[in-house]
Amino acid sequence: MARSVWKGPFVDGYLLNKADASRASGRNEVIKIWSRRSTILPQFVGLTFGVYNGHKFLPVQVSENMVGHKFGEFSPTRTFTGHSSDKKAKRG
Amino acid sequence: MGVVGRPHGVRGLVRVHSYAAVPEDLTAYGTLTDDRGQAWTLRWRGDGIAELRDAAGQAVASREAAQALVNRRLYIPRASLPEPDQDEFYFADLIGLPVHEQGGGVLGRVLVVHDYGAGVSLEIGGEGRAPLILAFTQACFPVIDIAAGRIEAVLPDEVEVQGDLSAEGEHASSAVGGAS
Repeated sequence: MARSVWKGPFVDGYLLNKADASRASGRNEVIKIWSRRSTILPQFVGLTFGVYNGHKFLPVQVSENMVGHKFGEFSPTRTFTGHSSDKKAKRG
Repeated sequence: MGVVGRPHGVRGLVRVHSYAAVPEDLTAYGTLTDDRGQAWTLRWRGDGIAELRDAAGQAVASREAAQALVNRRLYIPRASLPEPDQDEFYFADLIGLPVHEQGGGVLGRVLVVHDYGAGVSLEIGGEGRAPLILAFTQACFPVIDIAAGRIEAVLPDEVEVQGDLSAEGEHASSAVGGAS
């Protein structure tokens, strides 16, 4: 069941503070977080989070398209073994 | 690029599991070579069903002949792949390359390339080293020279943010004006 609109998106408060501080510093840094349940907010766009998947911190580069999703959606907890042979990676 | 699956019907057709980004593109790379060195030309005859012809142009004629090909892996020469655009790299080219820290020592080799929809990241590790996962960005990887087999990395600062996950989270409705 969807979350009621009047409540607004859920996010752990300390992430907001940390994101603001990271944006102000302008450094190349990864914010390691355990809060997979938090919603990605517009304030996080452009930052890189390391989202814990129970095993390691997977880098999540937040883009506009990801706003409204949860951090956990981008850090799978199961082993993935199937990339295509001719798949290309674009350097961000 | 793919692997031959079970026979389909009695006329020598086989299922082919394509590992290409677009499965149908398997035919675009020309002649395929299997793990025994035999050359094959592939033509799709249905959804995942293909006809294989050998180097002499002879099609696999019977179900028994097709059964003998099950689990053969199909390869293409690396040179058959089109050149990637600037700042694009094939996963296969990156995996195994040594990674050097800029102004420092060797960090290890690229073990895995992760891509789960939030940007590509490289997992780097080596003997006796804990794996390191870095976002595949210009800031973290300023130098990538596939021809020379060298990647230079700049380690980002890591900031740990811990909170009490059992506590009630904040509602950011005031910050973003509510969910849409």
